[in-house]
Amino acid sequence: MTPEQIALVQSSFERLGPLRPVMAARFYEELFSRHPDLRALFTTDMAEQEVKFAEKLALIVGAIPRLAELLSHTQSLGARHVGYGVRAADYRSVGDALLAALAAVIGDSFDAATREAWTVAYNLVAETMLDGAAMARPTGS
Amino acid sequence: MIHGRAGVGKTRLADECAAQAAASGYPTERVVGSRTTALMPLGAVVGLLVDGLGQPDAHGHVHTALLFEQTRRALIQRHEGRRLVTVADDVSLLDDVSLALLGYLAAQKTIFLIATVRTGEPVPDLVTDMWRNGSLDRVDLHDLSRTNLDTLLHLALEGPIEAGAGMRLWEVTQGNPLYVRELILGAVESGALIERSGVWHLDDGLPPTSRLQDLVEQRISGLPEQAHAVVELLALCQPLEIGYLETVAEPDVLEQLERAGLVTIAVPDGHVRLAHPLHARVVRDSMPRLRVRGILLAQAQRLEAMHSPLGPAALRMAVWQLDAGERPDPAVLIRGAHLARDTHDFRVVRRLLEAVPGDQLGALGSLLLGEALYELGMFEAAELVLARGQELPASEHVALRLAVTRVKNVHWGLCQPEAALAINIAARVVVISDALAEELAADEAAVRMFSGHPDRALAVLEQIKGSDLRTRVVKAIVGAPALAAVGRTAEAVRVAEAGYADHVALGDELAIAHPATHVINQVFALTEAGRLAEAEQLARAGGEIVASQRVPIAQIWFAANLGRVATLQGRLATARRYYAEAAGLAQANHFAGPRRLALSGLALACAMLGDLDAAAHAIDERAALPAFGFLGPEHQLADAWTAVAAQQPADAAELFQAAATRAAATMHLTTESWLLHDLMRTTGQDTSPRLAELAATGDSPLVAARARHARAAQAGDPAELAAAVDGFEALGALLLAAEAAASAADAYNQTGDQRDATAMRRRASALAACCEGAVTPRLAQAESAVPLSDREREIAMLAASGLASKDIAERLYLSVRTVNNHLQHVYTKLGVTSRAELTRALGGAS
Repeated sequence: MTPEQIALVQSSFERLGPLRPVMAARFYEELFSRHPDLRALFTTDMAEQEVKFAEKLALIVGAIPRLAELLSHTQSLGARHVGYGVRAADYRSVGDALLAALAAVIGDSFDAATREAWTVAYNLVAETMLDGAAMARPTGS
Repeated sequence: MIHGRAGVGKTRLADECAAQAAASGYPTERVVGSRTTALMPLGAVVGLLVDGLGQPDAHGHVHTALLFEQTRRALIQRHEGRRLVTVADDVSLLDDVSLALLGYLAAQKTIFLIATVRTGEPVPDLVTDMWRNGSLDRVDLHDLSRTNLDTLLHLALEGPIEAGAGMRLWEVTQGNPLYVRELILGAVESGALIERSGVWHLDDGLPPTSRLQDLVEQRISGLPEQAHAVVELLALCQPLEIGYLETVAEPDVLEQLERAGLVTIAVPDGHVRLAHPLHARVVRDSMPRLRVRGILLAQAQRLEAMHSPLGPAALRMAVWQLDAGERPDPAVLIRGAHLARDTHDFRVVRRLLEAVPGDQLGALGSLLLGEALYELGMFEAAELVLARGQELPASEHVALRLAVTRVKNVHWGLCQPEAALAINIAARVVVISDALAEELAADEAAVRMFSGHPDRALAVLEQIKGSDLRTRVVKAIVGAPALAAVGRTAEAVRVAEAGYADHVALGDELAIAHPATHVINQVFALTEAGRLAEAEQLARAGGEIVASQRVPIAQIWFAANLGRVATLQGRLATARRYYAEAAGLAQANHFAGPRRLALSGLALACAMLGDLDAAAHAIDERAALPAFGFLGPEHQLADAWTAVAAQQPADAAELFQAAATRAAATMHLTTESWLLHDLMRTTGQDTSPRLAELAATGDSPLVAARARHARAAQAGDPAELAAAVDGFEALGALLLAAEAAASAADAYNQTGDQRDATAMRRRASALAACCEGAVTPRLAQAESAVPLSDREREIAMLAASGLASKDIAERLYLSVRTVNNHLQHVYTKLGVTSRAELTRALGGAS
């Protein structure tokens, strides 16, 4: 990522402020409307899930400038998601839903540069989560 | 089967699969096709033939069917029935018998086959058959997308990379993972890729490594002679017209090269290029000098025969002749340098002109060379060339441009504004016609402005009529920031806009700043006017454009201005990043003055974030740089805020005051307002009378908002303070709004208006939450959390979810009256008057 992209991701997320829960709810709406099959992966209360999602996202966005700290969040998160039954292909669906939710909630100021910055940031997060997932997946027969 | 282009990672993926299989307890084997083993039956699969090659019969024949079956049994026995995971790398290069054996063993499930096939190579029939009957899965690997390359770079370098460097790596590698790997390793080792202030920058060209050379040579070396010659020709002289290439090679040669993915043919103009930018470099580097020379000279002669030597072909002709070690005609070199200058390719300008003998360079050649050296950060050399150029006979036009370029180099490059001024004044002897003399005067104004004297700059500009378009452009470059600095911000914005329009009409001329300068000025003027959102948007758009065009000085200014805007918005972590970016770019491009300004901003942002070490570090780094007058008093914000962060308010007050005095003396009035307002914010000192004067002198709403805030704070007037909050928030200055809100809350407390006090306190913490971790004395004083009792919170949450008091009462086994009592307390504590406001206050969204 470029420093400008990091700044854009952080500032656009910062400006969500009290709208973060709305964005989280919108994210799951977008995800399930695209992939109703993924609904089955969520066994807990969705309201609770939305809060967890928003909190984790805030941690990750905050850690982007410091790679070691970012990895400490994403790799363990990726490892846990293996246990939830998440497949590698689902990461793309999640990325699309996240961008759609951000675009919907941020509105006009979600311009091309901000979208690009979030795309690169999500890719970085997804790749490192997949790294964590690969480390966690047992290789024994 | 893993299919993909060379270097995309096929072998790596296959080996990774084998390693996983081995980790799971499977036996593994590796079979590698190569041009040598392809000639020898079963040469590649010796490792599988555990039972030997079999005995020939009486007639000397080996029965393959028998051999295959014996091999199968031997493998089963050796591996105790477990399937042997076999990687067959580059199956296209395996001989037919080896392929047949692999096919047989795979069909019998004795082995699990992982085959790689390179794009452009024939896929063996056997593999195609297996794929068709469904016993083989095909995986197509592609080069990395731009996004994936960015991610890979981020992970490999363990940090962010400057936009221009990322773009360059993308252009050169086109996402080919092998090339990326080799280039990055080489560039880090050679120091071309270097980390500064946490961001990676690319300083020099990308040096190809010897391994990269081997890789490309491997790809090219198998080509037939004619195809090889075409590749070499393109590597040196691309792009070439397809019509011409068809005269030097058989028609099917080009077709073959295109099919192999080695060349691309552009449809609209029929220009042929090597498909991969790296191939050109590597082929060029590995060719013998004599051969290079022969090809280049022949091509230069071809161009010479076809075109006028001083026409648009001059640049290619001159470069080829130079590359061939010839001494081209100086007229062709100078013409070529002009053409290179048109595309801002200053390296080529320098190369061509340094080949011209000194006595033939002339005044115009000296101007071009001097400017190129300045742009390349070689200020001492530029000074020599330009000073010598001024002694040569020249037209008045060239004399003027030599003078202003030398002034710019001495001012911005060597950081000697006094010497720059002396050069400007000396030039008046030779530059005498009206329009040109005016431009020279505008240049004097530039030195005065950018050495820290907007007042004197404006005085000079007033004498300039500006009837000539070029003079108007130069006048605008100085006028816009000078007007903004003295607080005439609306006029400054207009001048910058008009200057840009005039500059576009004028075209990109010699010895004048880049047209983006006007956009930078407009950003600065908008910022001083407090139109922060507009300034930010414009700076981001401008920054992207100049990053793609690689204009480092403009990139530095856009980044530094984005840092300024973010500081005023109170987005301090963002400010810190932009300033660090600007400082890194300025260092990479040898601009000491802008670097000084960026380091000051960096220290300021760090200090306001409470990161005292980082602030002190930036100030130390700044101390090694020469003095630089532009926005001089503003640099002192860094020192004063560092003292604030170090809990030394007396020192801070002194620093703010001294800087404000200097700002007043040089008419940096918007800066003076910033300094005096910060003095009030951090120490409580009353600066309201002077702030009011400053507000009355200029038209900046930001300066006016500061004055209003100071007056209200001094009077302890809660309603006025609340109005100041609105004022700052409307401008997007959220940190100032947060502090004013905290003061308003205290003032309401004093007047006993509890509900308003609570509302303001809540507003202060909401605003402060947008400030990315700002730590200022005023914020530290303010209480942040609103204390609700558990019961109050429970009832408030239920009310916010839309339940009526009656329903809440039923649910909690309370009386309606008790519920209403609790709600009343909640409303007062949170400073709200309706359920809708309550919902918002509790962080709800509706």
